[in-house]
Amino acid sequence: MLSNRREFLQLAAAGAVTLGAQGLAPAFLRAAAREASGQNNVLVVIQMSGGNDGLNTVVPFAEDRYYKARPKLAIAKNDVLKIDKRLGFNPVLRGFADLLEAGHLGIVQGVGYPNPNRSHFESMDIWHTCHRRSEDRNEGWLGRTVDQLQHAERQEIPGVHVGNDRLPLALFSRSHRIPSIQSMDQFHLKAKEEESMQAFRRMASQSTDSEGSMLDFLTTSTVTALDVSQQIQESIKSQSTAVDYPQTGLGRKLRSISQLISADFGTRIFYAEIDGFDTHALQAAAHTGLLRELGEAVSAFVEDLTATGNLDRVTTVCFSEFGRRVAENASEGTDHGTAAPMFLIGGQVQSGLIGKHPSLDDLEQGDLKFHTDFRQVYAGLLQQWLKCDSEKVLGEHFDPVSVIRKA
Amino acid sequence: MNPASNSIDPEWAWAPYEPTGAEDWSLAHVAHFHRRAGFGANWQTLQESLPLSPVTLATQAVSQVESAEVESSSQALVTSILAAGGLNQLPAWWIHRLLQGSATLREKMTIFWHGHFATSGAKVRDPQLLLRQNRLLREHALGDFAAMVHEVSKDPAMLMYLDSDSNRKVHPNENFARELMELFTLGEGRYSEQDIRELARCFTGWEVRRNEYRFNPYQHDDGTKRLFDQRGQFGGEQGVDIVLDREDCPRFIAGKLVRYFVADEGLSGEELIEPLAVEFRESGLQIAPLVQRILSSNLFYSEHARARKFRSPIEFAVGFLRTLDGSTNLIGFSNSLKDLGQLLFFPPNVKGWNGGREWINSSTLLARANMMHDLLARSETRFGGGDLQEYCDSQGWADPEEVVDRLSTLLLALPLNSEASTELTQLLESGSGDPEKRLRRALALFVSLPVYQLA
Repeated sequence: MLSNRREFLQLAAAGAVTLGAQGLAPAFLRAAAREASGQNNVLVVIQMSGGNDGLNTVVPFAEDRYYKARPKLAIAKNDVLKIDKRLGFNPVLRGFADLLEAGHLGIVQGVGYPNPNRSHFESMDIWHTCHRRSEDRNEGWLGRTVDQLQHAERQEIPGVHVGNDRLPLALFSRSHRIPSIQSMDQFHLKAKEEESMQAFRRMASQSTDSEGSMLDFLTTSTVTALDVSQQIQESIKSQSTAVDYPQTGLGRKLRSISQLISADFGTRIFYAEIDGFDTHALQAAAHTGLLRELGEAVSAFVEDLTATGNLDRVTTVCFSEFGRRVAENASEGTDHGTAAPMFLIGGQVQSGLIGKHPSLDDLEQGDLKFHTDFRQVYAGLLQQWLKCDSEKVLGEHFDPVSVIRKA
Repeated sequence: MNPASNSIDPEWAWAPYEPTGAEDWSLAHVAHFHRRAGFGANWQTLQESLPLSPVTLATQAVSQVESAEVESSSQALVTSILAAGGLNQLPAWWIHRLLQGSATLREKMTIFWHGHFATSGAKVRDPQLLLRQNRLLREHALGDFAAMVHEVSKDPAMLMYLDSDSNRKVHPNENFARELMELFTLGEGRYSEQDIRELARCFTGWEVRRNEYRFNPYQHDDGTKRLFDQRGQFGGEQGVDIVLDREDCPRFIAGKLVRYFVADEGLSGEELIEPLAVEFRESGLQIAPLVQRILSSNLFYSEHARARKFRSPIEFAVGFLRTLDGSTNLIGFSNSLKDLGQLLFFPPNVKGWNGGREWINSSTLLARANMMHDLLARSETRFGGGDLQEYCDSQGWADPEEVVDRLSTLLLALPLNSEASTELTQLLESGSGDPEKRLRRALALFVSLPVYQLA
């Protein structure tokens, strides 16, 4: 299947297209320029909310301690999808195992941060902002990234959050409003009468308030919503996909992201969430259901990106706010823990295991010790993939993890 | 009279507001009170409130009791909803109370506690248990905080939501102990991981069986616990008491209530909250006097408070109908709140709704505009039982200019800017379509404007 951009260029060459008023066509032209300068890479972040149990995702099946700590929840050695002689995927992660086989999946092990916080909200805020509570937390790491990317080259829609939950703090930016899009077909204004639409746009754009005030925030957010929804409605009509996505929440979100990547608004950052990983009780059924949803949706996404020729310019990263306690609790679940793996997916990621599995013999208060700071992974993504200054985004230097395969 | 915004004098802030002239006590002040203490008020209520003092208004509000009529129609609705399975009609049941009820501050506080002790029907799928918790929260909404926490700790819906309906001696489940301190009483970081583990031990043996709380002595760890600076063979109740006794508890609750009623932004510093926290503690954690104090204070009526709240979806939608004596299809109205980001009985997670800027993003803003578009396009949506045009006539609003002016007074926390005012007047005077449709369309645009999203 041809990408929209290529189709456009062919049509344009044939004289079949006139440049539209909505700024869509120039985006295609700019995309060509971006491709030449290497500023065309896209980052997709998948947030696994609630605290994913890393030990039952990437299973250390050669460790007796794992089976001792989890008499009810451990996954049998014979069931895992083997990665190497010591580690294997949860059996429902067939999609991840296939991606690993194809060289499209990296597993960064033992990721966390010093003095881990076991509150969902506090830990999530730390991952989103890279700051502790005592520091300024009005913007997120991706918001700061957007500011930097926009400064280099302005895009119409620099980032998109796909979902109907609140905008993740990671995407908060001082200077840009990142739209949240629940679904493509709902993302438009219903009022149709031309006169009222124009009047509304005029009225909504009037703000006499100072920048950053509450009214100013509402005004710029409203104008962004009007602009972005109009652009998306006009371009998305022509997007269809040959790939069957699973009919799950994450499947639908990744399908929307693939459509938006193909439509090419110059968007560099996408964000989607899958919730429910807080498995304090009866973990087995819930956790396998979530991992299956994750694996199947990501597989379909990669298949789609391959078909549209975008796989090499899209990197997806999966994270959770913390892992879970090594020992299971009495409710056949696990409590909040610390270090856990992150996943990288794409045509150019460093495939395979990155770093070693945290030791099950050397625990801290019953939790795994991290050896890789999540900000080192961010630094790798920022420098090697988005070509950003990671110190500016993260506030200090972190030795980047090699997340992208060297050319 | 207002000090500079970065240095609010706590003593001034919480002293009763005493207006000295008509400028200090206008329709705008009264409308502000009703937007915050309730869901807005119609023209008549504003006129009735104007002769009352700020303290009288607040005192009346904390002692409201719902009318027998609304209680009985609410009960009838419960019966019919439960007969039909009910989980997904729970939001409509509550919206009915919000639209019809007269004890609006109690409902507003019940929503506050629903967000505070968040429990979702997405996980606890039993409507009876959710309604039972809702009754508990409403009963204590302006009562005794300690009693409420004790009851919530044994509430089946809460324990099921936090996976704590089967807490065993070996490997105690930490979830409830953690959320009790982090979200319900003290605030994040006001305890150690050690305290969580010890408090979790206090709760061992707490179970839910056949939808009722039960203590199972065989599963209780009766060893000595070390919780904060105390040691003893504490059970769950004692654990709760020790936590409630911490000075951080009244601070945390008072601070959260100030943010709920006064301002989303611009208020900071523990010193500002401290006098309220001290009073709250000395009153034995009585909620009504605290709320009364906040709602009649200098700060509440100051520039630090005016238009400093983002309307929640409930305030946005319910406030609109209540202010204009509106009525509509209850189920459709209630369900559309999901896209706006606040479906009652279905909070997003145990932290409830964070509110503030988090209510606002491009999807929720479009959803707000689309909800009003649909609401006003529906013929079932009536105002004072009739057409919108008839309603405006009955209020004596003579021409488009006056309509826009009165709507601004009723609905907006800030004056409408003159450009928008002119646009709206023109839409009413010369737009296409019949006058009723024109009026409704203009009103839908009016409440989609950025300025209406502030309260």
